[in-house]
Amino acid sequence: MQRLAFALAYLFGFGLIWKAITWVFALPHFILPPPERVIITLVTRAEQIAGHALTTATEIIAGLLLGGVLGIVSACLMAHSKTLHRLTMPILVVSQALPVFAIAPLLMLWLGYGFASKLAMTTLIVFFPVTAATLAGFRALPDGWQDTLTTFHATPIRTFWVIRVPLAVPHALSGLKIAASVAPIGAVVGEWVGSSSGLGYLMLHANGRGQTDLMFAALLVLCIEAVLVWAVVNRIATRFDHYRP
Amino acid sequence: MLCIQQFDLSYPGYPPLATIDWSIEAGTQVALLGRSGVGKSTLLKAVIHGHASIQCEATHIAYVSQQPMLLPWRSVIDNVMLGEILRTSTISPAVRAQARTVLESVALGDLATRAARGLSGGERARVALARALFEEADLVLLDEPFAALDRSTRMAMADLAKTILKGRTVVLVTHDPRDAQDWLDEAWVLSERALHGPFDLHQFSDDRALIHALEGAL
Repeated sequence: MQRLAFALAYLFGFGLIWKAITWVFALPHFILPPPERVIITLVTRAEQIAGHALTTATEIIAGLLLGGVLGIVSACLMAHSKTLHRLTMPILVVSQALPVFAIAPLLMLWLGYGFASKLAMTTLIVFFPVTAATLAGFRALPDGWQDTLTTFHATPIRTFWVIRVPLAVPHALSGLKIAASVAPIGAVVGEWVGSSSGLGYLMLHANGRGQTDLMFAALLVLCIEAVLVWAVVNRIATRFDHYRP
Repeated sequence: MLCIQQFDLSYPGYPPLATIDWSIEAGTQVALLGRSGVGKSTLLKAVIHGHASIQCEATHIAYVSQQPMLLPWRSVIDNVMLGEILRTSTISPAVRAQARTVLESVALGDLATRAARGLSGGERARVALARALFEEADLVLLDEPFAALDRSTRMAMADLAKTILKGRTVVLVTHDPRDAQDWLDEAWVLSERALHGPFDLHQFSDDRALIHALEGAL
């Protein structure tokens, strides 16, 4: 309750400063629309914005799930096999060093202007942080365990499930937290490069027509979506905190 | 039980340490004294991993290290039977009952279902001992298991270890012979040059005699 009050007060303060800036500098509404204008647009065009918001949300969530699952599975496989690790690592690093923006046109070419290319973009941007973080978790078998495991005659597969996986869980989740904060980039960039729906598309569309208020409305909704996704992942992550060594 | 012949203690990149010839009869309980860095733990690890110049008759070794090696998210009783959990995916009621009996013998029966995370240092050390006992090993290697504890807890732990490990072959690595007095049969002293022994532990009740021994002057 207190946190909600704080958040509302924070937003209200932010709106006040925004309003003050448009008023003091007498900015025309196509440069920086005053907050009430954005809110009016948000309400009057709610239906149109909601449709686009749903597209983007689907892309973000699906990309996060697919990228997360792929990332965790490949980290598991890489932790199991040194050869696989050596083969996959260069691809991973290159895929990350290459900006998603640069691959976007190619993905459009291959996967078309629909959902698939956006899913691929988001998955791609999510995949690396999840894989890297999970892999770090698998390496984190604390010093001295090996001797104890030898005396136990522990089987590798049981060791994997009983010790290594639980130790990797918090790492995988902090990777997912990072991924959740970058996933919207993948979705929006994908929409910019070519699409007919989504908040990124709506922003580009509104920008081209000087509808800055609509742009801001879309931006606001994107912001809320991004924060919500991050909050959910963060909530899940804290539930697994007890696996920290 | 344990027969070590011409084992070279050495770390890659460092000058070689002592060459060890050592044998321990089944059922004896010995202390291995020595200053930090002379290779006491290295020797234990070589026994655990089965070095070529070490003949070990033990079919099952229990090892307690300085850190108790507990899984903090698992219950106390799971940590006691961790060896079994890491060997098979199904734990029989008999095994669980056995783990509980062992826990009771270290006076932790009440904490069986609590998460290991909340345990105090002394309780952790007792769980580690209980685990060694649960493993029903014929050779028990203790690598300074009480080093992180305060003096009075250490004494209580030594008394407990004496009681519960009765009849087993034990090697206790320590740099404080007071941990081993009134408990272990004999002491061996590892210096940079050689392994000496056996000694009567009471020889080292005087600190000066201990320092003398640790320097390899015996």
